[in-house]
Amino acid sequence: MADVAVIRRPPNEDTRQALVLTEDRVGHYPEFRAFFVRTFDLDRVGLSEPGYVQAPSGLVYALVFIGRSGEPFPAGLEIYTIVPALEPLDDVVVDQDLWAILGWMIEGVGAPWTVEGLHATGRLYRIPAAV
Amino acid sequence: MNANVLESIEGFREKWPFTAHYVRVNGWRMHYVDEGAGDPILLLHGNPTWGFLYRDVIPPLVKAGYRVIVPDMIGFGLSEKPAREQAHSLDGHIANLTGLVRQLDLRRLMLVCHDWGGPTGLGFAMSNPERVRALTVMSTWAWPMPPAEFHTRVFPWRTMHAPLVGPYLLGRHNVLAWRGVYLSVVGREKFRHEAQAVYEAVLPDAETRLLTWVWPRWIPLDDTARARARFTWLEAELAKSNLPTLIIWGREDEVFDATTFAERFKRLMPHAEGPHMVTGRHFLQEDSSPEITALVAAFLDRLDEKEAS
Repeated sequence: MADVAVIRRPPNEDTRQALVLTEDRVGHYPEFRAFFVRTFDLDRVGLSEPGYVQAPSGLVYALVFIGRSGEPFPAGLEIYTIVPALEPLDDVVVDQDLWAILGWMIEGVGAPWTVEGLHATGRLYRIPAAV
Repeated sequence: MNANVLESIEGFREKWPFTAHYVRVNGWRMHYVDEGAGDPILLLHGNPTWGFLYRDVIPPLVKAGYRVIVPDMIGFGLSEKPAREQAHSLDGHIANLTGLVRQLDLRRLMLVCHDWGGPTGLGFAMSNPERVRALTVMSTWAWPMPPAEFHTRVFPWRTMHAPLVGPYLLGRHNVLAWRGVYLSVVGREKFRHEAQAVYEAVLPDAETRLLTWVWPRWIPLDDTARARARFTWLEAELAKSNLPTLIIWGREDEVFDATTFAERFKRLMPHAEGPHMVTGRHFLQEDSSPEITALVAAFLDRLDEKEAS
């Protein structure tokens, strides 16, 4: 999934962040939380800034990490796409990008989770981005 | 939930002619159906369905002389749907049901439990046995460690509700109400024609589908699972219980297969009647409502006769 890349903070003039996916429990399987901590150096960065990735469409997505008292950080995660301030989203493009981001995440989490398993699950449930 | 969406589905009102009732439990607005008069029967659904699952069970039980109450679990159907995962817990859902039963002051209850209606309904029954007359269990479980080998697999079960993947597949794409239920009935064309649109319509937006991926996360998979203690308690209480119990199972159920699950209920509650096998996968009501209704009514008739003698 090399088509998703971690990038530095992009310019934000005349853009907005549009919420596209929310996860309240990113540590449900702790290896997923560990992946984000490792990838975005969250033990050092904490809540000071989001993580950013560039998806296959070229759109940039901000990963906003959520803390919750009494739980390991991050407890939750919100994904925002960064788009021109006054333009609506292209939902098909966003959906394909999110699918690619999920594949990138699964690859980074590693065994027993596999991109092949994710794609097979997507095909089983006839997800447009997976077929 | 915009009720107009349901009304726009062809034939919906003919299939679901029941008056909507609402009660507030634990601060949430719970929808339920309350039809007929007589000893009460509480019909409990699971994930991702709602009372509609029992649409063909309600009228004949009312006609047989029972009061039939069908609540929609908080997070499903026409009940309020909290927007945050932390709003949901097994104990909370048991308490929601307890709130409904106490407000309606129901006694001599027959509980019919399916899927997550099992852990919640049986949890209520074991903590309020004085209000319960009998139990029916269908395609469910009540013990701590993995319900089935299927639930331990990375593909497809754990992947489906993994962090971010769950909100994407089950939230954005509603795959459980759409493809998941469809794959878990026997008469798929009939289901597609009669029911599928209704199940999808009550979960119209990603955030309304939250519980469809939260419930899978509450299935205990190891010693650290959040609900492990509650399931351990539930299994121990059921083992001590002598409540009359009826076991009904779908012959084609591959997820909660009868050999593993119905037989385990039988070992846990040896006095239980059954298992009675009917046509059906996990959502057996979609295939065998008349048979399920007849089994429940006949079981209660025999209970009446026994009590009378």
